[in-house]
Amino acid sequence: MSAASNLLNGPQTLGQGRAFWSGAAAVLALALVYPAFVDSYDVGSSAYFLCWVFMALGLCLMWGYGGMMSFGQTFFFGVGGYGYGVIEIYLGVAHGGALASLVAALLVSGLAAALIGYFMIYGRIGGMFFGIVTFAITLALAFFLNQTAGPEWHIGAARLNGFNGMQGMDPLALPWFGGDIDLEGTPFYYFVLALLIVVYLLLRMLVNSRFGNVLVAIREDSLRAELLGYDTRRYLLVTFVIGSMLGGLSGALYCSWGQFISPSSIGLPAAAMPVVWVAFSGRSDVTATLVGTLLLIAGFQALTIYSEQWALVLMGILLAGTVLLAPDGLIVSLANALARRRARGRAVLEPSLAER
Amino acid sequence: MLADSFSYFYQFADVFAFLVLSAAGLAIIFGMMGIINLAHGEFIMCGVYVTSAAYHAGLPLPLAQACGAIAAGLIGMLLEVTIIRPLYSRPLDSLLVTWGISLVATQGTLIALGSTFPGIDMPGHSFSVGDYSFSSYRMVLFAASLCVLGFVYVLFMRTRFGVHARATMQNPGMAQALGVRKGLIYAVSFGIGTGLAGLCGALYAPTMNLIPTMGTSFLVEAFVTVVVGGANVLLGTAPAAIALGIIRTGLNAWYGQVVGEIGLLIAVILIIRVLPDGFSGWLTRRSS
Amino acid sequence: MKRRALLAGAAALPLFNIVGSERARADANPIKIGLLEDVSGDLAVFGIPKLHGSQLAVEEINGKGGILGRPIDLMHLDPQGDNARYQEFARRLLQKEKVDLLIGGITSASREAIRPIVDRTKTLYFYTNQYEGGVCDASMISVGAVPEQQLSTLIPWMVEKFGKRVYTVAADYNFGHLSAEWGRTLLKPLGGEIVGEEFIPLGVSQFAQTIQNIQKAKPDWLYMLNVGAAQNSFFPQASAAHLDIPMGSPIKIMLGFEHKLFPPPVMANMYATANWFEELDTPAAEDFKKRWRAKFPKETYINDMGYNAYVALYMYKMLAERAQSLDKDTIRKVIAKGDAGIDAPEGHIVIDPKSQHTSHHMRLLSVDKENKVHIVKDFGVIQPYWLGQVGCDLTKYNPKEQYTPDHLPPKR
Repeated sequence: MSAASNLLNGPQTLGQGRAFWSGAAAVLALALVYPAFVDSYDVGSSAYFLCWVFMALGLCLMWGYGGMMSFGQTFFFGVGGYGYGVIEIYLGVAHGGALASLVAALLVSGLAAALIGYFMIYGRIGGMFFGIVTFAITLALAFFLNQTAGPEWHIGAARLNGFNGMQGMDPLALPWFGGDIDLEGTPFYYFVLALLIVVYLLLRMLVNSRFGNVLVAIREDSLRAELLGYDTRRYLLVTFVIGSMLGGLSGALYCSWGQFISPSSIGLPAAAMPVVWVAFSGRSDVTATLVGTLLLIAGFQALTIYSEQWALVLMGILLAGTVLLAPDGLIVSLANALARRRARGRAVLEPSLAER
Repeated sequence: MLADSFSYFYQFADVFAFLVLSAAGLAIIFGMMGIINLAHGEFIMCGVYVTSAAYHAGLPLPLAQACGAIAAGLIGMLLEVTIIRPLYSRPLDSLLVTWGISLVATQGTLIALGSTFPGIDMPGHSFSVGDYSFSSYRMVLFAASLCVLGFVYVLFMRTRFGVHARATMQNPGMAQALGVRKGLIYAVSFGIGTGLAGLCGALYAPTMNLIPTMGTSFLVEAFVTVVVGGANVLLGTAPAAIALGIIRTGLNAWYGQVVGEIGLLIAVILIIRVLPDGFSGWLTRRSS
Repeated sequence: MKRRALLAGAAALPLFNIVGSERARADANPIKIGLLEDVSGDLAVFGIPKLHGSQLAVEEINGKGGILGRPIDLMHLDPQGDNARYQEFARRLLQKEKVDLLIGGITSASREAIRPIVDRTKTLYFYTNQYEGGVCDASMISVGAVPEQQLSTLIPWMVEKFGKRVYTVAADYNFGHLSAEWGRTLLKPLGGEIVGEEFIPLGVSQFAQTIQNIQKAKPDWLYMLNVGAAQNSFFPQASAAHLDIPMGSPIKIMLGFEHKLFPPPVMANMYATANWFEELDTPAAEDFKKRWRAKFPKETYINDMGYNAYVALYMYKMLAERAQSLDKDTIRKVIAKGDAGIDAPEGHIVIDPKSQHTSHHMRLLSVDKENKVHIVKDFGVIQPYWLGQVGCDLTKYNPKEQYTPDHLPPKR
């Protein structure tokens, strides 16, 4: 137990100690009772926002901790989403078929990530080139899927259906004694929330573990880490696979939520969104990414609803302004400011004590 | 036979011109200065719109095009001084800021000027070789792309400004200590970059449908060319454009535009895999 | 936007609803209509006239006492061309605002994204674009023209006038592929021949290679299915290369108003079939244009999408008033009678009960060297017959599917 708590509170994550965890528990309690106080639309909407956070967390792991700026999160989003659709249509929803499809979609995106990651990481592609290669792969997939309109493009009974997007898959369902529980509306919200908590805690433990420390060492100085005897490429590859699978998880959940996926979720401008979320929030920390991404997605949504044509202008100003004023990302900068303030408060307090 | 071989040359020249003109400005801003400029397409759009406005106000086309390039250059300098300057040490942040600028620019243009803008008459005539007729203006674009390559090379390799600029990009502190006015150099270099983007827009204005988001159709090709070119843009851009141009033209001709588009992206991935420093890195290594 | 529509409705009411109590009741209980149109991003060029069309119709209808005596409250959201946002906003309008009717969507992808969401409610949905056809869904009423209306008129005429050798330039996605297939099917009995067929990825703006392929194939005419602003760059580039080959298209001029964007003679020699284009000069059309221009004097062009968006609201008014109800099933019983129609600016148009698509008065237009549009031929009213012919009958069952010539309904 204490080992787990050490991992949760290690050096690579912001937010430690009793204050943070009681705050987190309060937020979690709010999230748990929230569906009781709002209508079904708001619950569904919140579940939809939560769906996107996984791919932001994945990117945070790769980029913030591992130094790999992947523009390919929507590639894996697409693999996961289309994968879920194709497999679910093949298996059917009954007897845990949908859940198995989710797992299978994750495995497929993990496999794709392993192949692409091997090609890049073992080919020593790094820095900005990593971003460009993942970006090119992502665009190529979007171009390819766009032109799969014809009936010849099908996998099993599932038609890819080109630009218009794939349809006909069922939403997730949990096999349960005496009948499946369809994961729609409130059950889906709780399902995604539970997944998010698990993923968040596991990521915290991962980055604070020995693995995480080596990863950060590679980010800081890859040559030195290698000379110390670590096989840096293996660490990076594992990180890339985990981060990309989280992109796939987002895609599969999105596909289950709306029973639809189309290539525009993969190409531009969708591909830039995870990068924007993570950079805005502060890529160096998982908690910051979690909070910032949710704020940003919900904020964009509200702007779009209430300001019509001005929404994109306001978003642009908001983004540029935040980055100029908060260089480490909004949430990380806020957290740092808070920490500094507390430290200063203590510093001021101590001499006054001494005077007394 | 002659017609067919000329046709291949013409297609290649067309793709080459598109790659060089769309990438030239980005090569300076991204390649040399390290700013990931996602608003590159919007500077191109700015060049297009100013050109069209000046043309419809009665200026002859070449003058209107000059206006487009100059306007984009001046706006670029202004942005450099006001917004971009703190970002040189934070290249990834420049991505967000310029993306924000691009959102403001496209949507602001939409709100201010509407969803469409009047087009420009295509200048010049066509000429025939064998069975084919060709647009002369496309050859003008090819010539312009060669001029732009020459201009950039001479400017940065043969002028005092160029020496100062390259020195500043490599070691700002040292350059400043030696009396180079760092701020001015950065502003002017950035302005030249956006001015070249504006020139690209100005040149393509008569061939395109004018809408606020039109810049995005240049963006992917521009980034791809610069990256394949590598860090030294003066060495890299031309061979990158030649290589990608040949690949694109061949795939377009034999397999159609879809394969051309996907093939270009895959070629980029493979080139980066084989030449991690791009063409310029490879050339420098070979010569040293 | 929402508040403004309400205010307009409320301001207009006292003129017509003289009885005070009736007005109070009407104010308290407006008919909510949700509208999803992209007024930002790439598709704004189409979304803005669509929004205007809906706003004009709502203002007019509210000015004349609303629908069933109730004013319309138009709730517009801007999905910015993003399919995920379409889904989210469709849910918002249907589940939170509980709208009585949903209208909108531009691309077929956006329509397909929101259709499963609409299908799970009891709300009707109007799709107001011309599209590749084939949606057989009881929740959806299609107001725009479909291939059998546009292509079974255009293609035979082009073959007769210009010849049998055809070159297809199509956008590489569903609409392009399906329309190209319609072209092949229609050309076969006419003895036509496809001498070249090219699919262009969306967003491509450079066409030198395509132009040359066309010159090599020497077609009699071009079947143009290129889509979007970038692909429209084909026209100035072809014109500069003096391609000078006649072009036929179901989407140019009336939809993208290319003749208002490119200087002449770029669009010369273009032929298109349409249920609406601004140059239509019947008295009803003139009257409609005058009202539109009075409200939106700066509109570049009143295109068919904007027109269809306008017509959709009158269609709904007619349906609701004949049904004396807003209930979907009651309204569909009216449609099932087969004579549910209105006198639109183009002429009298009726909803077909089997497919819930709309009949249209089709005309062939041509563009001359000065970018002037001429009406070449009047085809009269054409039915949306294809879905019914292949076995879609919404009066009997509801498959909620999109059918294509290679994906037909199962035999019953």
